[in-house]
Amino acid sequence: MAESDRRYMRLERCKSRLAMEKEYKDILLKDIDEQVEKEAVAFEAQEREKLYRQHPEWMPKELVYETVYQAKLRQFDFDMEFEMQEALSQAARIVSKNPEQKEIQDSRLKELAEKQARLREKFTAHLEAALKEQLKEQVDIPPDEEKALLGRVEDFRLSRCRETQAKKEKISADEDAKIKKLEASLKKAEGAVSKTGLSMPEDTVLSVQNLCMYFGGVHAVENLSFDVKKGEIFGLIGPNGAGKTTVFNCITQFYKPTSGTLLFENKAGEIISLTDESVHNVICQGIVRTFQNVEVIREVSVLENLLIAGHSRFTLGLAAQALHLPQLKKQERIIKEKAMKVLEFMGLSDYKDWTAAGLPYGILKKIEIARTLMCDPQLIILDEPAAGLNDTETASLTELILRIRDTLGCTILLVEHDMGLVMNVCQTICAISFGELLAIGSPEEIQNNPDVQKAYLGESEEEAN
Amino acid sequence: MNTDLRKDYLGIVFEKHRKLTAKERVGKALHIPLTQYLVFSAVLISFYILMQGGAVTSSFVFAIGNTMIYAIMAIGFCLLMGYSGLASLGTAGFVGIGAYIAFYLVQEYGYTFGVAFIVTVAVAIVTGIMVGFISLRIEGIYLAILTLGLSEILRNTFISLKSSIKIDMSKIQILGAKIGENEVYLLILLVFVVLLWITSNLIHSPVGRALLSVKNSSSAAQAMGINLMKYRVLAFVISTIYAAIAGLLYMMYLRNMTTSTSTLLAMTTSLNILGAVVIGGAKSLWGTSFGVFIIYGLQSTLLSKIAFFVENPAFITMLTGLMIILIVMFFPGGIAQIASNLARKYRESKLRKNVERRIEAYGRI
Repeated sequence: MAESDRRYMRLERCKSRLAMEKEYKDILLKDIDEQVEKEAVAFEAQEREKLYRQHPEWMPKELVYETVYQAKLRQFDFDMEFEMQEALSQAARIVSKNPEQKEIQDSRLKELAEKQARLREKFTAHLEAALKEQLKEQVDIPPDEEKALLGRVEDFRLSRCRETQAKKEKISADEDAKIKKLEASLKKAEGAVSKTGLSMPEDTVLSVQNLCMYFGGVHAVENLSFDVKKGEIFGLIGPNGAGKTTVFNCITQFYKPTSGTLLFENKAGEIISLTDESVHNVICQGIVRTFQNVEVIREVSVLENLLIAGHSRFTLGLAAQALHLPQLKKQERIIKEKAMKVLEFMGLSDYKDWTAAGLPYGILKKIEIARTLMCDPQLIILDEPAAGLNDTETASLTELILRIRDTLGCTILLVEHDMGLVMNVCQTICAISFGELLAIGSPEEIQNNPDVQKAYLGESEEEAN
Repeated sequence: MNTDLRKDYLGIVFEKHRKLTAKERVGKALHIPLTQYLVFSAVLISFYILMQGGAVTSSFVFAIGNTMIYAIMAIGFCLLMGYSGLASLGTAGFVGIGAYIAFYLVQEYGYTFGVAFIVTVAVAIVTGIMVGFISLRIEGIYLAILTLGLSEILRNTFISLKSSIKIDMSKIQILGAKIGENEVYLLILLVFVVLLWITSNLIHSPVGRALLSVKNSSSAAQAMGINLMKYRVLAFVISTIYAAIAGLLYMMYLRNMTTSTSTLLAMTTSLNILGAVVIGGAKSLWGTSFGVFIIYGLQSTLLSKIAFFVENPAFITMLTGLMIILIVMFFPGGIAQIASNLARKYRESKLRKNVERRIEAYGRI
């Protein structure tokens, strides 16, 4: 097994490199475009500054009014906010020392808020008047001058574009050559991987067959079988202690199953037996999971959390990392771009530099899901994604899960107690109790299944109704 | 003429595109790690030059060199404790490996420094791998006790091998050239700064992040494709290599050691290094280096000028002990945390002053 494993790892490394190289080409080309754009803006700024210095009476009146007004107001609001925050923390300090001061402090804060509102009115009025007064003597730039200036900027941009065109072509050619080479080596690696000879039903991505997991005398999972189809959202439900998380741990190899077969179609389109993989290799095959109690790395920032999730994509050795060779910088750049894309997809861009330790629970849950997207997985396993979330957060989670499935084409396997969520998003649901299969089918079938009702509501369900 | 308005407008619109002032450029350059190391080594080299000129005493430079040797051990330990969260008290034993390899290869067989260095690293790698595998099964306080025992075993083995070792200055060669007593300082400086740079690089690469994730949550690390065994062993190997290199340099610099009475291979060193890392901040290399200076360098450089401490040397130990207690109680992140707190406070107070000035101006409307 070791030999074919090594071959597979080589194949995966080749693939990872190829994918990265392709991404890198786009990044390089984008960089050049951005650089040109930046230079053009800087050039325009320079030209305008020169013009305004030569003709102090010229000024784009409306634009100046709008820009200066907005900027000053922003500054004012920031200052007021700062003052308010200071007052709030001071009040909190005083109240925590002697609680009877609470009312006095509250009224003081209210007074401050009123004062700030009054000041803001006064300030805006003053600002408007002052700006209008100052702009009275100014004249707009003559249209032909403005046109000439814009023309100069356009010329500059075009000339820069022409200059960089050659560079871009060279980069394109270089990268294409590299990609071709990688593709060739990939083909070779592909040829070396022997077919495993395992088979699964058509369209299935994961097949669990007769899974058993015993902890000593405790039979946590007993003879469980189910198939997960490609592109579907599969729900695993059951009362507390039914063994749902144990099933997940068996699939991701955190536990080695006592007996049973776990077949999975990996990224290479090859069917493998998961029990032969070690736990840290499961992600390379295309399975990523989240955890019930969020396991975010709290010491580092959100962005770094995603970079850790992209760890399996780095192909460089220790020496390159110790010396920070250019290849490392390149790969870091590619993974970082990917992380930024994922953050944007998840709507977490604003939090990227925050340390994970202080963030609210809902955000941490989202980071966990964002982490799973870093390696373009085949199968995402979500362990109680809605636990501890309120109704609004659960609704947005539902939407998110559907969006992940639709835009990224992943298969999703989830354990959940929130029946609303499960019934909304899942196509197939598997209900288990005490490690044994109760029923499998569509949400309606599961809802109407007497066994499932019994497991959830107890024996005397007629009376309960 | 509305110069104010024009200035405001141009300032707002063109802020991003203006040229940097000289001061900003220097500030930006200092943020690049490589510049930091160059400046740092320039300062340390200046001590050597000043000593040649007679401006500082040779005992001062000696103390700095000695501190750097301990700092090499400490940055390895910093990687082990601060990043991978493994508590080890075996540093001293690994130092002995380097010291005895130096003695046997350089003194007895007459090899050059380079050969001794390579052999030291190789032996340290093998030792580190063995201890690293043990660390997979044992964690926390048990690992600390186990490594402590291992270190004592090594120490006693060394004592029975040869209880007192000594290297002649004339035997020390680098690339076939003999060097003087003072030039060893430059050698130590070179090794220290290079190791500092390499460690900082490792910390800021996938390896460093992988170590942190192993420390924080081993199950998340495994799910992200991080091989626990590989990274724990790696952390141990690196810290063992650093400790062994420190031992090698120690023998080059001090050149003799009576193993049975010397504190270098005793538990004291392991504990002092732990103390230095705690004082400095387990996640900061600069902080750790400074912590080592406080424990090993302060006494012979600054406090030796104060008559009180010269008369009562016991007070120095009390002082460092008190410092460790206070830092653990109030600043778990060590001196690095204190420094970053101060920097933040300074920025905040500057901002507050500006805001207050503007609010006063609003009031005058």
